[in-house]
Amino acid sequence: MESNNTLGLHAAWIIPSISAVAFLIIVVSMRIAGYFYSDRTKLALLAPIVSITAILAGFILFWLVLLDVLNFGGGSISMNWLVVGLTEIRWGIFVDKVSVAMLGLVTFISLLVQVYSIGYMKGDKHFEWYFAIHALFAAAMLTLILADNLLFLYFAWELVGLGSYLLIGFWWEKRSAAEAAKKAFITTRIGDVCLLIGIILLFKATGTFNISTIFHIAESGGISDAILNSSILLIFIGAMGKSAQFPFHVWLPDAMEGPTPVSALIHAATMVAAGVYLVARMMPIFELAPEIMLIVMIIGLITFIFAGSMALVMSDIKRVLAYSTISHLGLMMLCLGTGGVAAAIFHLIVHGIAKALLFLGAGSVMHSIDNETNIWKMGGLRHRMPITAITFFIGAASLAGLPPLAGFFSKDELLLSILHDGQYVVLAITLLGVFLSALYMARVAIVPFLGSTPKHLEQSHESSSIMWVPLVILAILSAGIGFLILPLSSTYPGWAEFIDPSHHFELEPWLMILSIILALAALIFGWSVYLRKSVSAKQIIEFAPSFYKTILNKYYIDDLYQWIIDKCVLAFGNLVALFDRVVINDKAVDGSAISVYMSALKTRVLQTGYLFTYGAAMMLGACGLAILWWILLD
Amino acid sequence: MNTFESWLLLIIIMIPLIGAAVFIFMPKDREEMIQWSATILGLITMVLSIYCFAAYNHNDGGFQFANSWIWLDLPSNPIIGQQAIQLNLGIDGISAPMIMLTGIVMFTGVLASRSISDRPKEFFVLFFLLISGVFGVFASLDLFFLFFFYELSVLPMYLLIGIWGSSTDFKTFIRTKEYGAMKLMLYLVAGSVLIWISILAIFAESGLGTFLIPALSEIDFNTTFQLIIFPLVALGFGILAGLWPFHTWSPDGHVAAPTAVSMVHAGVLMKLGAYGIIRVGMFLLPEGAEQWAPVLLGLGTVNVIYGALSALGQRDLKYVIGYSSVSHMGYVLMGIATLNVIGLSGAVLQMFSHGIMTALFFVVVGVIYERTHTRDIGVLEGIAKKMGWVAVLFVIAGLTSLGLPGLSGFVAELLVFIGLFQTYPILGMLGIIGAGITAIYILRLVAKVFFGKLNEDIWNNMVDSKFSKQADSNYWERVSSVVLAITILVVGLFPFPFIKVIDTGVTEILAAMAGSL
Amino acid sequence: MIELTHFQVLSGLLFAIGLYGVLARRNAILVLMSIELMLNAVNINLIGYSIFMNASESHRALGHVLIIFVITIAAAELALAIAIILRLYRNKSSINTDDINIMRW
Repeated sequence: MESNNTLGLHAAWIIPSISAVAFLIIVVSMRIAGYFYSDRTKLALLAPIVSITAILAGFILFWLVLLDVLNFGGGSISMNWLVVGLTEIRWGIFVDKVSVAMLGLVTFISLLVQVYSIGYMKGDKHFEWYFAIHALFAAAMLTLILADNLLFLYFAWELVGLGSYLLIGFWWEKRSAAEAAKKAFITTRIGDVCLLIGIILLFKATGTFNISTIFHIAESGGISDAILNSSILLIFIGAMGKSAQFPFHVWLPDAMEGPTPVSALIHAATMVAAGVYLVARMMPIFELAPEIMLIVMIIGLITFIFAGSMALVMSDIKRVLAYSTISHLGLMMLCLGTGGVAAAIFHLIVHGIAKALLFLGAGSVMHSIDNETNIWKMGGLRHRMPITAITFFIGAASLAGLPPLAGFFSKDELLLSILHDGQYVVLAITLLGVFLSALYMARVAIVPFLGSTPKHLEQSHESSSIMWVPLVILAILSAGIGFLILPLSSTYPGWAEFIDPSHHFELEPWLMILSIILALAALIFGWSVYLRKSVSAKQIIEFAPSFYKTILNKYYIDDLYQWIIDKCVLAFGNLVALFDRVVINDKAVDGSAISVYMSALKTRVLQTGYLFTYGAAMMLGACGLAILWWILLD
Repeated sequence: MNTFESWLLLIIIMIPLIGAAVFIFMPKDREEMIQWSATILGLITMVLSIYCFAAYNHNDGGFQFANSWIWLDLPSNPIIGQQAIQLNLGIDGISAPMIMLTGIVMFTGVLASRSISDRPKEFFVLFFLLISGVFGVFASLDLFFLFFFYELSVLPMYLLIGIWGSSTDFKTFIRTKEYGAMKLMLYLVAGSVLIWISILAIFAESGLGTFLIPALSEIDFNTTFQLIIFPLVALGFGILAGLWPFHTWSPDGHVAAPTAVSMVHAGVLMKLGAYGIIRVGMFLLPEGAEQWAPVLLGLGTVNVIYGALSALGQRDLKYVIGYSSVSHMGYVLMGIATLNVIGLSGAVLQMFSHGIMTALFFVVVGVIYERTHTRDIGVLEGIAKKMGWVAVLFVIAGLTSLGLPGLSGFVAELLVFIGLFQTYPILGMLGIIGAGITAIYILRLVAKVFFGKLNEDIWNNMVDSKFSKQADSNYWERVSSVVLAITILVVGLFPFPFIKVIDTGVTEILAAMAGSL
Repeated sequence: MIELTHFQVLSGLLFAIGLYGVLARRNAILVLMSIELMLNAVNINLIGYSIFMNASESHRALGHVLIIFVITIAAAELALAIAIILRLYRNKSSINTDDINIMRW
């Protein structure tokens, strides 16, 4: 193992390892304990204790890594994993400011979500298994963040997919959960196939999987344009799959079948952000391919608007949040397409915290009202569960972009980045999207929590403290973390410059004011539609009913995919299977056997059964051979 | 090398053979005794075979544990004279993992067959004969004995499937065990005819008067000869490796075969084919291999895609796995045809990985079939509730199959892909897409069969009354499948020790190829 | 003086008689005896050649060796064949070869 000898780097590789070990411990101890205690509930707390200790240790070590990065600027260590012929494939980690920020986000949110889960999942049949997968997921996600080579990254990339698959399908006895898990895995798998092709193409061109070496070679023009463009595009498709970008977004709303804390951790804050992180990480070579950057931007923009519109009409609280996640991921991609790494990562963190808060809040609501998810069946919950309501409002307001909450700063930074890239049309559409996102946030916050309480919710109550404490922590952060964008001291020059020293902290007052106005307008509009009902939602729908129906049916994209899978892929599979059986097997294989049989039927009359016939034939044959030999000899 | 090591390979081959002979004389009604002794012999063999792999010195390379016993010499032999046919044993970096694979599959197969109640004595006699033959093929350095053991491993299959197999009545067609056994037999014998012809041709053409592989590899056969003989070798062994379009014996054989035989059949027997292509085809006929590689590569690609699509269209669990074997053997063939170190190492590792993985598949499917008497994907639903172990282990095997990192399939397929991209990027992409299709059929199957709500009424009708209390796999089946699962994990996470050994063998074969060109 | 020709004529005659017996007779025992005649015809032929052949002592001895092989195998074969015929007689009460046609199509 090589290193440049900093403590922080060693701390960094230990972080995912602890969680991996925790996974093993939980799985093994679960089995062993199962043999000694028939009543597993006695040992139920063992699993969360192990996994939370692991992630807490990770969170503590994160500060060590952070200090190290601040003092020495990061670095990398690696070790050999595989040597084939002359080709070395290494495993290694790489720490810089971006990865350390992600490290903090993931360890922190994992920690809170796992603590929250103790309350949320209490009494579940597979309680231990839940925490085991959480530990596995944390290990994989942290590895993904730290990986210094593309193959290792892919390795972790697939494993977080596995974690997501297992957690979506956690309640596998529900058919819909099983289907959703399958859908998520297969959809992201399509992206992963492309990602792997892209990675191997880059390997073929450069002979290495190491990210920084690839950058060096690419920047010195060592990769031909065709290969570079195609491999970057393929990598981006991989990122689209994971980050649920259009047209791969279909899996994320269905993934809400999993337990709600899982949605908070994996499908809002961390795993789905992996695609954004990958693009941010690979930015130096993305910048070598302006056409691909344009594609990134366009895909991001489409996703932003498109998912925002769907978030506006869904009635399932988790699905609204899921579409909002897709939409925000699109916004980050859009920003990356303009080259704004710092802004995108900042929004990733802010959105991660806020969305985790919203999901946990939604989970808290669902937990107290019998897993009801339809927002129209909720109302006035602010009286019943005040802490949940207030924290939920803070999260929603942050994502809607109200000052001085974190979302306001990050959104402003994103808009600034687009403006600096000179994309005015894109900026205009983005502002529309900002209005949309504030509107659906208003809707999802107002409908369940304000207004009057329906009768059947009279019994609802605030969740236990193990569940609301994480909410409060997240709410505080969600409110306060935005100030990181500002140059707070002489040593800290503001987020943008911290991440990328070539940028400086700037403000564009008119843009800021415009975005505040848009957000406020959306809130007031939402207020009047959903609470005061001074504007009738029905009238708006009747304005364009077919359009409304289209959005409600998710633009029929899910149906289209289902049709493609059923009518094309499966039908083709059936066709091939039929071809194999009927043509290859029955016609070619059995057919030749049958033809042998038929010719045997014809020739078997030669077997008379009389010794005389056989003897005579033998004799004649011998004579024939003798004559033949005699002729040939002459 | 000490005496023990020089006798090790012979011991490994003889343990099953002698075991089979001993079983014949055991009293029929002492089933317990037969099963226990089979288990113990299996364990010993597995330990020895793992030792064999672990003790293989990858720094020295070459053929190790070598020893030879002269069997027959031809009086008129021109040069060597004394050694025309000898039992010459030795393993290199390619056969070492194969020996280990056979040992593991044998042991787990014996464990999985402990539930056999119909004539267990005869079953184990034939099973051990089969295993002895497989060991012999991987360890023989003499073409004659390679062929001898090859036949020894093929023949018991017929009886094993024909007697202990199962006939299935599908809605549109019927597959009886006799049909499966006969088809498998005819195919494999057809293959061995081609192999025997080419072995004799190589023997005659060399003029050395010996069947020894190392001696024959020194000879530069003329190009025309190689061009004519290589396809015979590749086809003959390829039939065994499930080469498209000669693959149909394999899924039908699986459907008919009992669990342990399916395990050996897909896990090891199909590897004999790929091994033969490398050992006889590439090692002895390098120029032929070079010229015919694109054809092999093309057929391998067809195997991958076609097998995966066919698996997508199946309704029977064993058919799905059978076609997935066809698909995965395609990666082996593709890897072999890349003719470079990475691809070939990947192919050999894939042989190992697929052997273990598919054995695991068959253990768990065998359990399901024994309990429920059906393998119909349309009928089974939500059975994870009753069969937790089975479900978890099936998912592990499935994830290996779709190439999830951390499991052995990923490393092997990755190496094959990297090897392919060096020369044939388009085919490499098709290969990766094949892995994508694999994900679709595996996950569909898992979601349908294991997940979802279990219908108690259907389940109670379906489940065998013997197992109505505990339907999950029993102790022995658990040990068997966990051994396999652990092997998958170890190879997936720490492939380096395996690759080191494989690399020495692959490098030598490629050096031999480069030398002759 | 006995020449090679004498051996050949004798062996040819014996062989022809044997062949006639195999083809024309219906009694299995007689067929068997005829086969023996043919084998012995070959033996005589071999002896003749091994005596009159122009070769070294050791090579000529090969002819004798071969004859002893043939006699041994013929004896074994006879034992087997008689046993088969006995079984046939038990089962079918006949040793007429025309009656033994269970292998017929």
